[in-house]
Amino acid sequence: MAVASTTTTVAPHAVLDHIHPEPTSFIRKYIFSIDHKVIGVQYMITGMIFFVFAGLLAELIRVQLMHNDGRFVSPETYNQIYSMHGSAMVWMVIIPLVTGGFGNFVMPLQIGARDVAFPWLNLAAFWMFPVAGLLLFASFAVGAPDAGWTEYPPVSLQGPAGTSLWCIAIFLIGISSTLTGINFIVTIVKMRAPGMTFTRMPLFVWAQLATAGLSMIATTALAAALLALFLERTFGIPFYDPRHGGSPILWQHMFWFYSHPAVYIMILPAFGIISEVLPTFARKPIFGYKMIAFSSISIALLGFMVWAHHMFTSGLVPWLQLPFMIMTMIVAIPTGIKIFSWMATLWGGSIELSPAMLFAIGFLITFTFGGVTGVFLSAVPVDLHAHGTYFVVAHFHYVLYGGSVFGIFSGIYYWWPKMTGRLMSETLGKWHFWVTFVAFNCTFLPMHWLGLEGMPRRVGIYADTHDAVFWNQVASISSFFLAAATLLLFANMIYSFTKGKKAGPNPWGARTLEWMIPSPPPYYNFKKIPAVLAAPYDFGNPLPYIGLERVPGAEGPAVTRTPAPAPAT
Amino acid sequence: MAVSIAKQGKHGHGVAGQSLVHDEVIYQETREMRLLGFVLFLISDVVLFSAFIFAYLYLRNTVTPVWPPMLDGKQLPRLDVAFAGVNSCILFGSGVTMHYAMEAWKHAKKGAFNGWILGTIVLGTLFLCGQGYEYMHAQIGGWSGSIFGASFFTLTGMHGFHVLVGVVYLIVLWWQANKGVYDETHYFGLTAGTLYWHFVDVIWVALFFLFYLF
Amino acid sequence: MTALLAIISIAASIFWIVVPEPLGLVEAADPSGQVDTLFRFLAVVGSFIMVYVAGYIIYFTIAFRRPKNAPANHIGVQIHDAPILEFWWTVVPTVLVAGLAIASVQILSTINNTEGDVLTMEAIGYQFGFSFRYPKIANPIPDEMHVPVNTPITVHVTSRDVIHGFWVPEVRLKADMVPGLINTIRFTPTRIGTYRIICTEYCGALHGKMAAKLVIDSQQDFAKWYNAQGGNGTTGGTGGNAGGVAVALQGGNVQAGQALFGQKCSACHSVGPFTQKIVGPGLGHIFDDTTHPKLVSGDDPTPQNVAKILKNGYQGDIGVMPSSQANAINNTDIANLVAYLVSLSKH
Repeated sequence: MAVASTTTTVAPHAVLDHIHPEPTSFIRKYIFSIDHKVIGVQYMITGMIFFVFAGLLAELIRVQLMHNDGRFVSPETYNQIYSMHGSAMVWMVIIPLVTGGFGNFVMPLQIGARDVAFPWLNLAAFWMFPVAGLLLFASFAVGAPDAGWTEYPPVSLQGPAGTSLWCIAIFLIGISSTLTGINFIVTIVKMRAPGMTFTRMPLFVWAQLATAGLSMIATTALAAALLALFLERTFGIPFYDPRHGGSPILWQHMFWFYSHPAVYIMILPAFGIISEVLPTFARKPIFGYKMIAFSSISIALLGFMVWAHHMFTSGLVPWLQLPFMIMTMIVAIPTGIKIFSWMATLWGGSIELSPAMLFAIGFLITFTFGGVTGVFLSAVPVDLHAHGTYFVVAHFHYVLYGGSVFGIFSGIYYWWPKMTGRLMSETLGKWHFWVTFVAFNCTFLPMHWLGLEGMPRRVGIYADTHDAVFWNQVASISSFFLAAATLLLFANMIYSFTKGKKAGPNPWGARTLEWMIPSPPPYYNFKKIPAVLAAPYDFGNPLPYIGLERVPGAEGPAVTRTPAPAPAT
Repeated sequence: MAVSIAKQGKHGHGVAGQSLVHDEVIYQETREMRLLGFVLFLISDVVLFSAFIFAYLYLRNTVTPVWPPMLDGKQLPRLDVAFAGVNSCILFGSGVTMHYAMEAWKHAKKGAFNGWILGTIVLGTLFLCGQGYEYMHAQIGGWSGSIFGASFFTLTGMHGFHVLVGVVYLIVLWWQANKGVYDETHYFGLTAGTLYWHFVDVIWVALFFLFYLF
Repeated sequence: MTALLAIISIAASIFWIVVPEPLGLVEAADPSGQVDTLFRFLAVVGSFIMVYVAGYIIYFTIAFRRPKNAPANHIGVQIHDAPILEFWWTVVPTVLVAGLAIASVQILSTINNTEGDVLTMEAIGYQFGFSFRYPKIANPIPDEMHVPVNTPITVHVTSRDVIHGFWVPEVRLKADMVPGLINTIRFTPTRIGTYRIICTEYCGALHGKMAAKLVIDSQQDFAKWYNAQGGNGTTGGTGGNAGGVAVALQGGNVQAGQALFGQKCSACHSVGPFTQKIVGPGLGHIFDDTTHPKLVSGDDPTPQNVAKILKNGYQGDIGVMPSSQANAINNTDIANLVAYLVSLSKH
């Protein structure tokens, strides 16, 4: 492919010109920093801490379900446990990690910027996150929310005081999410390096752009729903209670109008991570760049038109069920295009099975399976049977764990050296992957038939029909291995800090801009903002950047790997 | 809202030899970014109102068979269009005065600017007083009495809160303008304030139609 | 490789086509067979997709692994796209999705238009059980729902308090029981037996224990059961308050009745003349309207007969008048409401 030429005299954005002096105090450097890299790491740390807590809640669920008579915890406690597990995982783990965490750290580097558009807003948005998370977990002290992460009224109107705290906490993290979405859109639209047209952007940036649009638009709809729920619980303002003229179905519409786009907020950045990891470790261009970029945008748009597929059994009029069913099925098409393009990226590659690559490849299998079961659920007649059962729980864990979390793990192994300047242990990483992959499937695969054969969701006590207890025990024991595997990741992090080799700028031989600067990057990112000549994925060609300060090792581990970049002007 | 430093040559640390033109380029670039960011914020605010408007229309069309709905066996009365109509004119008038304030500023007519923006602040405050009066005299069963009260007071209350924030913001802008923070070519804060104020007006057009005319 | 994957896919597909119970459950009603057919279709397509996707991914990962002795600058094939391949892998899924959509629409339409109405009944969810109301049986029957085989059934479901779910896995149909709404399921039982009715919407602490029995009887057994419950007008059977016993109406409080009317009735009834319909007729002259000399039940408009309708509900060509269970009103409420209605007619 001919490299598009551009004049080398294109200036970077003047706003990126200056390098402001680095803050000196510990507090301004590491606590209240406006540096997107520090903020990104802060999101990662906070998100991983909540991941541990939400994961422990999951293990409590699995212990309870090893027996079908609810002997481990009381029903009231159990309901609080899974409601908090879901709420924390969605709002305090996955969304912050993939947007605030990876988005903040990586995206500005990949577009050749010095920071995001509004660094102070970034700081404010971050600090709402630990506050919201603490508020959410504080609800255990007053009776945590107990009606699932979906908190349907009227039952949520009866819920413990923690339900109101939940409203406030999620409202707060929603503000954070909206502000980050706005920040990222302006950054991507306005601060790309000269020559980086939209079609020369890394696909991770495309993913962040689509996600930011979703965050910005959908989240305020949730804010409205939460505000109304809070007002009704606290002041009796009738929105949802039918005894006072309200409608429970109204909540479902308002909640799902946000929460369906929310699942795309959770998966699109993971798609972006996969689109970076696969070409790097296959040493070939991402296949179908334009289609992958286009499909990210179309998935985001379609994501706004399918929310009522969560409501097929609620009493929607039949003529409304149809368009939602059809739109949901249509989403399968751009998603399928991505999967096939990623597979074609593997074909003919020079594949190196690093831990990041293993998780990316594992993602392709588990996420596709979750997508297929999603198509099952999109068919209304099947959904009428499977809604509200463990089939749905299986489906969404395949796309959220097998999708988003695998993507997060892949991203951690990929960008850890860039963030910390140190390598992780490949051996520990591979063990993490294999134990996770096997344990994950053993945990969640049985839930498909558990659900189809009669086990509803959100139960701590269930009937032992069709060997339900046996399969629950299989799932529970496997989940203990899954949790143990995660400990390997944390052990690897500790290993990296204590014994890990120093990572140069580009340990993987990747080609996007973040790998052209030292690890960890200096606070100003780029001494000189480069000009960009092409999309970054052509491994056979010289690096498409002009004007970069020369950093030894930026071409990758072997000097002859790719021809050296053109000298700086 | 970050105070924008508009006076040329004051931005950051100019690289030696850079001209004032360079500072101007930086100003224009950051102005574009801030404008886009502010517009995106307003869009997300529109979604907030749209969600509640959806709730109102859903409850009105799907749940209650009559509008206004019944309360304690009797149908609630409609709202007073005349009073709200006058109050709306006050609010729309404040949009006009804001427009003239901006025009005056752009033509460096400081005195006229002050007059028009103070007029906007006064009219905005009058509108809020009118809303307060409306709230005290509405006979629709209170905030929690029915879905009428729930949707009306919540939506107009959110709008009123936005107006209040807007009035405060305009006072800040008036104070900043008089302190010399802006000049005839650098006045992003005023642009944002005008956009916000017109946004508040547009939301009111929708709410007035939906609650008083429809 | 393609051939190997084809063999595996075809084998999986054959499995899904011939397996007698793809969901691991018997089919106990129409249209559960249609749901199972759709499931089989999805499973066949899903098998092809998973076998090929997982198969090729594993194959590529192994076949294109970087060789141990590769030079340091070993890279993959530098291709960016393949328009013809991309065309096909867009078109084929689109065709599959279209096929799935058509099949689903057809089956959904069958489900939504299924015959019912030979027997029409109510299922009411509450925290934490199910109760069932049958025509002409005064009392709700808790925990056990009987239906006759080969008879089109309509079940109106609603809730007394929070959202519950009504699901019989062997019937494949599910409807949420939403307070303030009536959702409807129609099916024809085809297989005699006892099955579980399971709540599938979180409804509170004991959601996990909320279940009931669906008993599909032969037609004779059902008739026996129905008679024993007090249907067909016979006054035997369990529970005291079979159809004939009056609700005590003395001491009904007009103000309380007016307030209750506003809460419970005014959504569907006005207090104007008969013609001022909302959902049901205006009730202002229920006791002295010479142009409408009978109540909807065909009885004379006496307070006692009005109380009967309030207690038992009514289903007719006009629609569904919820029973006292569905409305969550007790006998005192009924007395108050009747007193209020009597006071209206006096004007």
